[in-house]
Amino acid sequence: MATVASTWVSPPTRTPLIENLVSGVDRYNPNNVGILEDYLYHQIRSEEYDCLANLAILKLYQFNPDLYNPDVVINILIKALTSSPFPDFNLCLSLLDERPVKENTDEPDPLPSLLPILTTLYNLLQQCRFPAFWAMYRSDEAEALRDNYTVECVGFENTVRDVVIRAVKAAFKRIGSARLSSYLDLSGDGLTAYIEKLGWSIDAVSGVVTVPPNLDNNPQSTVVQEYIQLPQLAKVISHATLTA
Amino acid sequence: MSQQRTTIWETELEEDLQDVDVNLAIGNYGQNGMYEDAQSRIDEATLLAVQQQMAQQAAFSQVPDVVKRFIVHFHQAVLDNNLAEITVAYESGWNRLTEKFYAKTEWPEAEVIAPLVNDDQIFLILYRELYYRHVYSRLQPDIDDRFHSYENSCELFNYLLNSDGPVALELPEQWLWDIIDEFIYQYQSFCVWRSKVKSKTDEEIVLLSDESQVWSSYSVLNVLYSLIQKSKIHEHIIALQEGKSAEEIDEIVGEYGVRPLYRMLGYFSIIGLLRVHTLLGDFTLALKVMENVELSQKSPFMRVTACHVTTFYYVGFCYIMLRRYPDAIRTFVNILNFIMRMRQYHTRSYQYDQINKTADRMYALLAICSALSPMRVDDNISNIVKERYGEQFTKMSRGEEGLPACEELFLYACPKFIAANPPPYEEGDQLAMYLEDPPIEPAQRHLALFLSEVRAQAPVPTLRSFLKLYTSLGAAKLANFLDADEEEMVQQLMIMKQASRSVSRVDTENEKGLLDGQITSTSDLDFVIDENMVHIAESTLGRKYAGWFIRNTEHSQRVFDGLRNSPLPIPPKKANAQAAKGGPEPSAAAPRTGGRNVAWGGVKTA
Repeated sequence: MATVASTWVSPPTRTPLIENLVSGVDRYNPNNVGILEDYLYHQIRSEEYDCLANLAILKLYQFNPDLYNPDVVINILIKALTSSPFPDFNLCLSLLDERPVKENTDEPDPLPSLLPILTTLYNLLQQCRFPAFWAMYRSDEAEALRDNYTVECVGFENTVRDVVIRAVKAAFKRIGSARLSSYLDLSGDGLTAYIEKLGWSIDAVSGVVTVPPNLDNNPQSTVVQEYIQLPQLAKVISHATLTA
Repeated sequence: MSQQRTTIWETELEEDLQDVDVNLAIGNYGQNGMYEDAQSRIDEATLLAVQQQMAQQAAFSQVPDVVKRFIVHFHQAVLDNNLAEITVAYESGWNRLTEKFYAKTEWPEAEVIAPLVNDDQIFLILYRELYYRHVYSRLQPDIDDRFHSYENSCELFNYLLNSDGPVALELPEQWLWDIIDEFIYQYQSFCVWRSKVKSKTDEEIVLLSDESQVWSSYSVLNVLYSLIQKSKIHEHIIALQEGKSAEEIDEIVGEYGVRPLYRMLGYFSIIGLLRVHTLLGDFTLALKVMENVELSQKSPFMRVTACHVTTFYYVGFCYIMLRRYPDAIRTFVNILNFIMRMRQYHTRSYQYDQINKTADRMYALLAICSALSPMRVDDNISNIVKERYGEQFTKMSRGEEGLPACEELFLYACPKFIAANPPPYEEGDQLAMYLEDPPIEPAQRHLALFLSEVRAQAPVPTLRSFLKLYTSLGAAKLANFLDADEEEMVQQLMIMKQASRSVSRVDTENEKGLLDGQITSTSDLDFVIDENMVHIAESTLGRKYAGWFIRNTEHSQRVFDGLRNSPLPIPPKKANAQAAKGGPEPSAAAPRTGGRNVAWGGVKTA
């Protein structure tokens, strides 16, 4: 069975061509950056995500500063924003070396002004401050981000909601619909439809939403018993056979 | 005078660099800008060569006889591929003579000792490898040393990779490891040195802008990937894991891979990649290149202790940056246990110092991880953590106020990060701008990212201490205790839940690669929110008996053995006869001897 990490390392949607680039030495060939960038835009259009392929783009930028394309970087960061429980966003930032600002380009580099906003959004998600996330995301400050980037990223808001749902599912057995509404930034019919799609139930009278039991929201007190493994006894046993 | 020296040096460099053509596994990217022809300088060079020769003869007469004899002997050992003799010369002879004659100065230059070894170019390359390593570790390498050591490394790898077929040379494993280790160290050292623009002379700036390919990341990666490909080391490891026979493996790995020199260089290059990618901040790729490598003491590639320790240090560190603290803890505990066990065998030399230093940094990292994701670890190890970093550990376990302690330990224990690209030495204006507004240092950048992860889970320790007191309580009441808004507190509870789950490599049997893993619970304290009530469940550890019984059984076995092996208390006149029979040495009576009998097998060092 594919584990959560193995899907992250190699998502089933990755094509053999990309796999070859991600895992082989061709990943260092700057001529391949176009293929990886196209793949990123494909991810953006079709709600797919491939962290390692995107990191490979940043690696090429790191080694070949001339290739640097701020739009691509911003899109990578937007995709990485919602990849909990993996710290993709910071992994991407790790590869962004400080670069001298190029003066003689016609267009100003949008990254320096958007990076603080993206970082704040990431931190809010990390800290489960979902209502604050939405407030920030909908603010005037983030207008350029919304209008130029996230609007192109199909299903972006829903991937944020996926992050919310992961957190809620683990921590709650039942949650008030007002609270859930503020986390998801959905209300009325939108909220009801969303809850229905999740397969969760909502109490018509109290408005309390019941989260189905899962591995994380069902804590049990246990006593962990000692478990002795054979190697621990190897010395004793081998000694016994020697002296027998 | 100084001008003259530069000229000699430049001519040499240009000629030599033309030869540098390491087989390019990853292509010749970004390495344009070859050199203009050196013809015009030849006459001058001839003249200077004569002068140089005279100077060399003078230098030769200065070399102590014992050093000359050592070099001749060393050379012979290399010619004979006599591993035992090479090892002696490499591990003890060289170090002893260094202490005696060259503690504060360079060894004689390779050109000076060349007559002793019949101008054997291969030996001279190896000699220079040691020569520069000595300069880096004992003295201050100047720009010439840095450029020349690069050039020499290229010549060495060029010889190994681009001769007609595999070369017959054999070297001890320890030395092979040191070659790769030093190659990366010098690359890292160069990058750090290069990034300090302020202290550069005009001359250095000119050189740095002309020779931007020296120690470039591409060239270093090229060498490592080429060695990996030539030796087919990945295929080798996979074949071993599949349980193939020795003959089958020989078939698979080909003419290079069957030779120990290439096989080990290939393996060490994988570890080298792990390290280079970590230094450059690519933690995912660092672990991905280790995909096939088994982190087990039993692996046939783990015989060089320094390599073993380096591997675990970098793997553990990458796990931290991937926010996989339990995996990091497991990695560190594993190797620290190993270091503790081998201490009794391994008190030798420079390697031991180095290993101890790395171990101490791992204890610091372990303290950070244990504060962020508390889990039970081996008592011996956790006692040392408490002893060395107890104060910081306590602070870090308190959330927000522990951040400075976290920062201190991180900066002490993290790898020496580097920037992939040089400052803009070739562009005067940009260089001035760079000087005025220097970019954040790589270590500081990675620190900031790490601290943002730590800060995100800062509320956890306080919450935890409250939850521990209850089996259930109302959210409003808890918020009241914390003096916080209820909504805010509920959000913090979700953080706590996230912090108590981690992607982790639990099932090491079936999970391929170091990046694989699944979500596991890492905390003994769990809870769930039922609308506005928090229900808490705690797991406790049952009392452990096994360790106590095992230790004492082993102890009594030793005592029993000791008693049984000691001579019987018989009348004195018969005692002589007993001793003549050559019974086990009487000192074996001490129970201590049992300690030699380590279950993991002796620590082998090459």
